[in-house]
Amino acid sequence: MNKRSPLKILALCSTLITGALLLYGTKDFPAWGDPNSPASAHLSPHIIENAAKTTNAPNLVTAVLGDYRGYDTMFETVVIFCAGIAVTAILRRPRS
Amino acid sequence: MDGLMQELVARYNYWIYVILMMIGFYAMIGKRNLVKKLLGMNIFQTAIILFFVSIGVKNQGSIPILSKKQALEGVADVAQVINPLPHVLMLTAIVVGVSVTGVALAVLQRIYKEYGTLEEDEILEKISKR
Repeated sequence: MNKRSPLKILALCSTLITGALLLYGTKDFPAWGDPNSPASAHLSPHIIENAAKTTNAPNLVTAVLGDYRGYDTMFETVVIFCAGIAVTAILRRPRS
Repeated sequence: MDGLMQELVARYNYWIYVILMMIGFYAMIGKRNLVKKLLGMNIFQTAIILFFVSIGVKNQGSIPILSKKQALEGVADVAQVINPLPHVLMLTAIVVGVSVTGVALAVLQRIYKEYGTLEEDEILEKISKR
């Protein structure tokens, strides 16, 4: 139709190729809900067994977020702050 | 064919995320409206967040909040509690994503004020005319 359509076809092709590669890659992934999957095998048993005792927070997500990764969470606020500064700097009307 | 079906049933969550990711990726590179590109980025992000959260799921596992007894006596059964680490990481990712979306929306608003349109080709035309 218009002269832009070849680009769209190219975009569609690259999307399909990426999707096919990723679907091929899922062949090696653990099945859904597998309790022995690699993600649940190394650090997470330690956290589940010890986090409540060492941090006194029964919610394990809170225990990790606020204690083990406390600095990460604290500097998250810096990310939000920088975003806020950027938004005000972009939208500010120059004084004239 | 039978093997493929078994594969699909065991890992259908990954297929859903890959399809969501493809939708977002196509919107990012194939659409010409900048707002649609931004929406595509958010869909992409959601696909990755869902993917990470689904990594932590365990069959017969409950939420990662311990009961009073489990917390006091330290008798949590690892197989009964799902993996909390992907949830924590995705909280971080959501915060960063919100920041990125906010800044992107501000830039889009500025572009609209400057050029009166959010279509990529019209903006390029107006830039080349200057």
